[in-house]
Amino acid sequence: MRRCAQLLVLLALACRPAERGASTGAAPARRIVSLAPSLTELLFALGAGPQVVGRTAYCLYPPAARAVPSVGDGLNPSVEAIAARHPDLVLLYRSPQTETAARQLDALGIPTMLLKDDRMEDVARTARLLGRATGRAAAGDSIARVIDSLLAAPVLPTPTRARIAFVVWDAPPIVIGSGSYLDELVAMAGAENVFHDLHTPSATVSLETIASRDPDWIAILRDSLNAQPPAWAGRREWRTVRAVREGRFLILPAELFGQPSPRAPEAVAFLENLLNHSPLPAPQ
Amino acid sequence: MKWLVLSLALLAALLAAVTLGPATVPAGQLFRSAIFWDLRLPRALLALLVGGSLGAAGASLQSLVRNPLADPFLLGLSGGAGLGAVLAIALHLGGAWTLPLAAFAGALLALGLVFRLGLVGGSALDPRVLLLGGVAVGAFCGAVTTAVVSLAEASALRNAYLWLWGGLSGASWDTVTLVAVYVPLPLVVLLAAARPLDLLTLGEEPARYLGTDVAVTRRRVYLAASLLTAAAVAVAGVIGFVGLIVPHLGRALFGGRHRALLPASFLAGGILLLLADTLARTAVAPRELPVGVVTALVGVPLFVLLLRRWTAA
Amino acid sequence: MDRGLILEVRDASFRYAGAARDAIAGVSLAVSAGEFVALLGPNGSGKTTLVRLALGLHDPHAGSAAILGRAAGQWPRGALARVVGVVSQREDNLFPQRVRETVRLGRYPHLGPWARERDEDRAAVERALERCDVAGLADRWLWTLSGGEYQRVRIARALAQEPRLLVLDEPTASLDLRHEMELFELVRGLVDGSGLATVLVTHDVNLAARFADRLVLLAEGSVRAAGTPADVLRRDVVEAVFGWPLAVSSFDDRPQLTPLRRQP
Repeated sequence: MRRCAQLLVLLALACRPAERGASTGAAPARRIVSLAPSLTELLFALGAGPQVVGRTAYCLYPPAARAVPSVGDGLNPSVEAIAARHPDLVLLYRSPQTETAARQLDALGIPTMLLKDDRMEDVARTARLLGRATGRAAAGDSIARVIDSLLAAPVLPTPTRARIAFVVWDAPPIVIGSGSYLDELVAMAGAENVFHDLHTPSATVSLETIASRDPDWIAILRDSLNAQPPAWAGRREWRTVRAVREGRFLILPAELFGQPSPRAPEAVAFLENLLNHSPLPAPQ
Repeated sequence: MKWLVLSLALLAALLAAVTLGPATVPAGQLFRSAIFWDLRLPRALLALLVGGSLGAAGASLQSLVRNPLADPFLLGLSGGAGLGAVLAIALHLGGAWTLPLAAFAGALLALGLVFRLGLVGGSALDPRVLLLGGVAVGAFCGAVTTAVVSLAEASALRNAYLWLWGGLSGASWDTVTLVAVYVPLPLVVLLAAARPLDLLTLGEEPARYLGTDVAVTRRRVYLAASLLTAAAVAVAGVIGFVGLIVPHLGRALFGGRHRALLPASFLAGGILLLLADTLARTAVAPRELPVGVVTALVGVPLFVLLLRRWTAA
Repeated sequence: MDRGLILEVRDASFRYAGAARDAIAGVSLAVSAGEFVALLGPNGSGKTTLVRLALGLHDPHAGSAAILGRAAGQWPRGALARVVGVVSQREDNLFPQRVRETVRLGRYPHLGPWARERDEDRAAVERALERCDVAGLADRWLWTLSGGEYQRVRIARALAQEPRLLVLDEPTASLDLRHEMELFELVRGLVDGSGLATVLVTHDVNLAARFADRLVLLAEGSVRAAGTPADVLRRDVVEAVFGWPLAVSSFDDRPQLTPLRRQP
């Protein structure tokens, strides 16, 4: 079920980051409603968790976030449910629907910020922005520095430079392209996204394409930490993909990989670790 | 002669479907490659079976409900299939075959509801009641789907709909075998009803006077055509326009007699879907278009052409 | 049983569900081979109900309706269509059709679901086309025909069934004088030439009187008069049935009605 939410985030067209609202220099926000899982996580990472008074139904990380009342859906937000939390700042993921909601909230006198954090560099910038907005500028800067240094660090290719296909949906097959956070994580882990040439965050492709690009690994996100291959791996048409046939799945925790996150270094390390401890079989 | 041309077109479409694709397979290795045997060939055969089923179902339904604009999906089956798929996702049902099975069950549920509604108008399944019932059941299933989705999780809708419009990407020898075993029975039922269907195009009363048991014919044809459509939606999602356009092409080329029209619609539907799917796989490779988009892009201009011919006549 | 007797309705009554009175009550009608019977009566007098009863579409609540000695409702539709040809009041072609195509539909009762058309079927179609004088139109589209031609084509289709009883429900409605005459001449010729039993429902009392062997005059669901035209078309009876003053004259030894102006 969670993968649905993640898919939705991944599918959203990532483009120019653009933020507006919440003038700098104003008093720090005390009652914040966060309408994206990634933003909620960032707020808690900044130590602004106690200031969060509302979240979406999908904001499940960190576990402390679950104690915050949910206001429902973040991409199709209920303005009334948000207003009922009496926020002094509402954070929204930028999309046509949320822009309408932001206008309605503005009309109610509730300050809003529309943020688009699809890529690694967005995490750094968003951390700085939210740090200032919550009165925790130092924490924001320190998160941003960690991300910046990760981005600046030279990438050490894994010994075999593992080739990965991220499969987010099976029928029709949808894979992750280069316009995405996951693609960045793969690159930083020294591996290669076989669909790096697709310039959108995600794309429908034919199975034939996956089979012919012949990835070493199929990466999938999962809520629970069970190592079972996905149900569709048993379907005969998927078994034309060598990695599926050989059961070479990278099962990644959605909680860590599903959204742009200040824990990006942790995610990269996780992936590196998986790849280094599951060596590829010698090529036939 | 016409049959020969149709058969040649089918061969050409099959050939295109198995030789063209985003992966480059050297011609010499084609028959040894898994891409040919496990992906392209089953997908082509599934396209042929599904397109053919939709063509034959469309041709018989248009005569059954006496409406040249009837499409197999007009009778609420896509709504039922969508509901089935959404419920399967919302209830976290796992398993490789869950979505097709759930969609098939949903389509059968819609089929049963429409059939029951149709009987409200009398045992002879009044076609007007059938049409209205189909639209009503489709809308009702859509509403329940939306309710389930808004209560569960908005993104489930998106996934169910991705699947519902996913086309033939799930093709495998398993699905081909399943459909190949399933499809002949309803097809034979339709073919056996070919003459009564000819008579039904004259109207209910003349058909009766020419020896048709109208109630039995309508029930058989409705059930057979719907079962074909339900199978199609379960393995290939909603594919519009094939069932609408193909029967009209068939009538233009082979006349209105169902003994010729039904096989012709089956072949033409298979050809159309084969070509549409080949286009969907190759036009924007390595990305893939939903095949329903391609059939609509090809179907709508054809349809406009047909409309012009009718209004001119 | 009289070997020539094709249709026999005896003391039949029928009431539609929810109706206050019987649509027909105690009606009898017998038609033999080579006989042309015209069914007359005002709107709502029960003509169509009687026809539907005779054709087994409704079962009588009392009395009986039998074709060739077998209850009409007991006939399988296919078998009945090999014995009775019907030209119904209305039909509505969903898709364009050519003349020969539609006449070929008349052979369907003789063909199983899988059987191909045999030579005798094709011959029967051509024969029917000729007999109705529409062989020259065989390749025309139905929608290009005049009203009279179209009705003749529909009769040809009924003849292709090679029936023993022909039922025509108001076949001349909306036809002009010449086409109307041609149609009655055609039906009379068929009856005389082939011994076909024929029931014709019509509002044209005078043409019925000129062409039919017997008339059956229905009013309010029962037979008001039946017999030769001279027996049925008596002034007092017809005036009462139609509620209009009439004069009765004679032409070719057949009675002819002329409705009168109320205020001359």
